[in-house]
Amino acid sequence: MTKRFKNIFIGILISCASLAALPMAQAADDDAVAQAIKARQAGFRLYSFYAGQLFAMAKGEQEYNADLAATLANNLVAVTELNNGMMWLPESDNTARKGKTRAQPEIWAADSNIGDKAQTLKDAALGLSLVAGDGLDALRGEIGAVGEACDSCHEDYRAEDF
Amino acid sequence: MGQDNDSSAGMSRFEPQKVWDPAIRIWHWMLVFSVVSGWLLGEFRSFSTMQWHIYAGYTTGILILFRIVWGFIGPPPVRFRALAVTPSTLKKYAGKMLRREPSGAAGHNPVGAVSVILMLVLLSVQVLTGLFSEDDALFFDGPLASMVSGSTRTTLTAYHQLSSKAVLIVVLLHISAILFYLLWKRENLVKAMITGWKIVRK
Repeated sequence: MTKRFKNIFIGILISCASLAALPMAQAADDDAVAQAIKARQAGFRLYSFYAGQLFAMAKGEQEYNADLAATLANNLVAVTELNNGMMWLPESDNTARKGKTRAQPEIWAADSNIGDKAQTLKDAALGLSLVAGDGLDALRGEIGAVGEACDSCHEDYRAEDF
Repeated sequence: MGQDNDSSAGMSRFEPQKVWDPAIRIWHWMLVFSVVSGWLLGEFRSFSTMQWHIYAGYTTGILILFRIVWGFIGPPPVRFRALAVTPSTLKKYAGKMLRREPSGAAGHNPVGAVSVILMLVLLSVQVLTGLFSEDDALFFDGPLASMVSGSTRTTLTAYHQLSSKAVLIVVLLHISAILFYLLWKRENLVKAMITGWKIVRK
């Protein structure tokens, strides 16, 4: 084989290999891990939707409404009470699934205190739900703990996204 | 030089001069306050104090704008023209930096000038990224955050956090340099920035 034909042959081989790999790459987009990542992100979106409006009320950016505040806080509690442990599959961190999740591998480490963080949020949300309908001052008194619970977990276990 | 009565013969080549104008001195200490408080309120943030982090950012931004104006119309030692260093002046000063005597510069010495510019650029980045940042835990947004897309916000927030670490490093470097001048070169730069009087080579 001349050198030229050898190069063409290798080129075709590489092209075939990349084409064969393409469906596999697509499959990884919708496998069990990918679905679990999407599901837990849906949970965070719910947190953000409920908490976001409560924070907006606390800051005076949205008019305080006792019924809505109570419902939002109750919904927040409901989401924190879901046992979503099955969504945190092995190999679903931001190194195994780069660009798909900001969850850092430390979540799965032996010394991880992700459970304590989740409990802190649960307690804070519950505390908020007990008073959210009792007026703006009551809401303001408890909402900080929720934000700080979110923040402390982001700080330790969520990667910055550039 | 040998004839004068200065107890320290080496010091006779230097004299105190009024170098820093009142505005730049007040500006400097206001910047210390706004940067330190802003940094601490950002690093140790809470829902009840986050608004003050934003106020500290505004203050820092206004102070930077003042410094830019003062860099063009202020007294000669604080003008940007005086901060312009060439590699050769920088190399020349770096070569004698370890000498146990004041720099004698009638303003910033060349290494100091570089650090001033570095600090101003970094603080500008810090303030500008902050305007577009979002905190999706305490639900505080920079005043211009809604003008950009969600992914841009996330990116700028990441840069805001990253540059805060750079600010910490540069501030610690600044303090180390002042201690180096105080302890090794026997020049009190803090006092100079309070009184305006600096030791200058005759």
